[in-house]
Amino acid sequence: MKLEDLKICILRIEGTNCEDESFQAFKRLGANPEMVHLKQLTGQDVLETEKRDLMDFHILMIPGGFSSGDYVRAGAIWAARMKSKLSAPLTEFVREGRAVLGVCNGFQVLVEMGFLPGLNGIMSSVPDAVLATNESSRFECRPTLLKYENNYTSIFTQKLKSGQILLIPSAHAEGKLLFPPEKAEKIYQQLEDNDQIVFKYVDPDGEYAGYPWNPNGSPHNIAGICNPAGNVLGMMPHPERVFHRFTHPDWTRGFGTDIGDGRVIFESVLEHVCKKF
Amino acid sequence: MAQEGLYRKLEAPFPLSEILLSGADDEQLKSISSKSGTGLSLDEMKMLVDYFGNLGRNPTDVELQSIGQAWSEHCCYKSSKQILKEFVFGIDNSQVIDRGDAGVMEFDEENAYSLRIESHNHPSAVEPYGGAATGIGGIVRDVLCMGCQPIALIDPLFFGMLDTPVYELPRGTKHPRYLFGGVVSGIRDYGNRIGVPTISGGVFFDDSYTGNCLVNVGCVGIARKEHLYKNRVGGVGDNLVLVGGRTGRDGIHGVTFASAVLTGESETESRGAVQLGDPITKEPVIHAVLEVGRRGIITGMKDLGGGGLSCVCGELAYAAGFGVEVQLDRVPLKEEGLMPWEIWVSESQERMMLAVTDDNLEEVLHVFKLNDVEANVIGRVIPEQVARVFFEGVKILELELKFLTGGPEYCRPRTIREPSHHVFEKAPSRQIGHKEALLELLASQNICSRDWVIRQYDHEVRGATVLKPLQGVMGHSCHGDASVLKPVEDTWKGLAITTAVNPWVTAIDPYRGGKAVMDEMCRNLVAVGARPHSFSNCLNFGNPEIPKRLGEFHEAVRGMGEAAAKLDIPTPSGNVSFYNESESGSVLPTAVVLGVGILPDVRKAITSDLKSSGNQIYLVGRTEPEMGGSSYNRLVGAKSPLVPDTDLGVLKTSMDALLSAMSQGLVKSCHDISDGGLAVAISEMCIGGQLGAEVDIEVLENLPSEILLFSESNTRWLVELTPSDAEKFEEILGELATRLGEVGGSELVICSDEEILINIGIADLESAWHNTLWKLMGGSE
Repeated sequence: MKLEDLKICILRIEGTNCEDESFQAFKRLGANPEMVHLKQLTGQDVLETEKRDLMDFHILMIPGGFSSGDYVRAGAIWAARMKSKLSAPLTEFVREGRAVLGVCNGFQVLVEMGFLPGLNGIMSSVPDAVLATNESSRFECRPTLLKYENNYTSIFTQKLKSGQILLIPSAHAEGKLLFPPEKAEKIYQQLEDNDQIVFKYVDPDGEYAGYPWNPNGSPHNIAGICNPAGNVLGMMPHPERVFHRFTHPDWTRGFGTDIGDGRVIFESVLEHVCKKF
Repeated sequence: MAQEGLYRKLEAPFPLSEILLSGADDEQLKSISSKSGTGLSLDEMKMLVDYFGNLGRNPTDVELQSIGQAWSEHCCYKSSKQILKEFVFGIDNSQVIDRGDAGVMEFDEENAYSLRIESHNHPSAVEPYGGAATGIGGIVRDVLCMGCQPIALIDPLFFGMLDTPVYELPRGTKHPRYLFGGVVSGIRDYGNRIGVPTISGGVFFDDSYTGNCLVNVGCVGIARKEHLYKNRVGGVGDNLVLVGGRTGRDGIHGVTFASAVLTGESETESRGAVQLGDPITKEPVIHAVLEVGRRGIITGMKDLGGGGLSCVCGELAYAAGFGVEVQLDRVPLKEEGLMPWEIWVSESQERMMLAVTDDNLEEVLHVFKLNDVEANVIGRVIPEQVARVFFEGVKILELELKFLTGGPEYCRPRTIREPSHHVFEKAPSRQIGHKEALLELLASQNICSRDWVIRQYDHEVRGATVLKPLQGVMGHSCHGDASVLKPVEDTWKGLAITTAVNPWVTAIDPYRGGKAVMDEMCRNLVAVGARPHSFSNCLNFGNPEIPKRLGEFHEAVRGMGEAAAKLDIPTPSGNVSFYNESESGSVLPTAVVLGVGILPDVRKAITSDLKSSGNQIYLVGRTEPEMGGSSYNRLVGAKSPLVPDTDLGVLKTSMDALLSAMSQGLVKSCHDISDGGLAVAISEMCIGGQLGAEVDIEVLENLPSEILLFSESNTRWLVELTPSDAEKFEEILGELATRLGEVGGSELVICSDEEILINIGIADLESAWHNTLWKLMGGSE
């Protein structure tokens, strides 16, 4: 399929606030993203011309923000709304190997929906994990360095080199990836075995480090994971914010390229999906 | 609302009263004003007696409340207007597009940006979290109602000293630590949720703010020019569509509360004047308003701020030369049982008023429905310049808009004192070495690292923040002078955004203070490579009915206006906040500016951190013995009337020369010299770059070393260059620049000829500077 024929859904509800830059990230690469309100997929309150069918899209992106205010657990309300109305098409979407990217609040939504880590089928009936309040108890907006840990299961990282380190900034209050305590280590081992761990937080020397380089206290420094099939990726840091070099935090100290570290994630998924469909 | 004998209940199926103005004596008029909470003066009450006497009737309670809102200091600038007209309103150039709720300026051929800064002081002093959050909500609506997408938030904050002992607090006053924590949380939770990056601001501490903290909130927006709107209706027959949040009892009498002095009882009496914010109503309101704006299906709009419906309906219609009829019972309410006057003046948040023709009404209502935002037609534009309000079929208000929106204007008495006779020279009460002074200044509350605040705000959402508030080596970044945004997708042109204020200098010499603020704003913008383009101001002063306070205001505005006129920087929007006083006295005169500059190419922006060993360090500008109001003087307990002055001609020449050197790529880093003087500025550059430096101040003016190190003289920058560019730089800057030393090593060494004045390792500088707020506010990095 040609790049310009790919259909990309940038989904939003009230409180989504990273949709513009997420849209631009795909657009700048020559793709044709579309901003879609959840109600356009469920058909509520919309005109016939505004209705959209999820299965017409090849890539679904759930951007960052504070969906519905995140006054419950981050992502819980949006996940509940999608689960009640769109479980069947979403499961089908993932089963067919179409791509789903959740960044920050989008990651939280994917975990709340049971698509990630996805160890019990495509979608678990209850969440297997949670993105809990940061160790610091505060919102943390800071540069974070991510080490690429995946062995190319994830379709979002095919163009990365093994062990490559990317600067992708974080901005969240709830980003600590926790599993049920009694099986936490077992699940972690499963993630390792399934090659589901995509990114881990490291310090400027490339070593696993604590706060502030791990901004939320996530055990094992996990910053992003994919499902076993590799077509669903959730990550707390924001690749769409570093599409250009000139939004890196230290670019005035010298840079060899105009390209920002986040761009490769969008390039990888577009290339993969073009080949697949 | 009114006392027995001062009002009469009218026949209506809801509470409605007639106010018995006719025949009331002075005491009764004063009583009506205070019992109704309108805060009108006796003279103003007499104007009402005359007006309604001519009509041959008494006002209703709704009419009295409506006038109380419209004539408050907060809404009609009755004490400040004449002074502002004299000094700043006239500064205009071809770049100004509109002066509405926010000012609108040219960005490039296709795009415009808008800016405004205003105060939300009194609500924040009573309820810091809600006060600050709704402050953000209000300023965002000001930018939104011009048709602009909000792209930046800017928050200068002023509190008492964080280590103030609890027993020293005045009655009814909350501790600065509580206020600071609450305000920052309020800005964080609201700003982060609506997805607008908080990229600039400042935190300032002084005992004068203990009883009356200041919370100023600024916003910058961007729009394609064809999507800009005016704050007025399109024509007769337009529907008034109220969109957003519901109306409740929160925020009643907010503007009259803002136009009085805070007292020990403000907490219990005025908590109802603080509005409640709801960012998750606001976020889709922003979305839907911008959507109908882009589709071109509205004719104009305005936000509901101070005075609520009572102000917006009349102003929106009258600005186009028309009037309005409102069906007040169509306003959706948060709770049952509000009296009509309460609905009319409530300042409940997240509301906007749109003007829509019949043809477009259905489409507008649909866009709001899709976004789950309430939208209701509550009125219609009529040809006569009159406001008429009905409730359940009964007319409850009819006022001429000329009278209602005209408002009084005062030329209040003011005393302008001779600045140099005001403060007497006082020798330092402490003897302190230069090294200790520098370390103490770096650790002082007014200079130390703000990362405790900055990292709680999302300053990168929207993915367009090119220069962040913290700049330098990751993990060690230090304060920048301005932040830079790339606001439009298909151009590298950028906006630099900064704030400037110097209450200590302004307190000693308001005129020089006004100029100093403009100088600092220009320095900050130029330091990142931007040419100053416009500014908005928020002038926080004490009670204008006290001649000395109004004199300070007059002089500060004169200084600011003189600088702006000379530099040709227009101020298309502004805000005045008087009555910033508590039982312990007035705040320092606090003239805040929000400055916006333009960079032709953001990829050439410059940060404050030192870049490479071996580079040369230059000082641009002259150092004078102007220690009045300086951080150093406050540290050592000295006083001086000599505050930094600005030679506006030199400022202009220096800016031009520096920008020229920058555009040729000569400048590797640049930092303005302000609080703490040269020694603090070079320390910050070292911390951000994790590089040492060796400078020799012997080459500077023949002045005592503490003046050369710590003077806060205006129009100065520190600049880093590669050795090969030095000659070219000297050619451009001429006598303005002096070579001070070189980047290198891991210490900051400042000497005067052979004598070493300061020698401190970078790690020691950093730990002194970094830890203060963390220690005082909790948490650790």
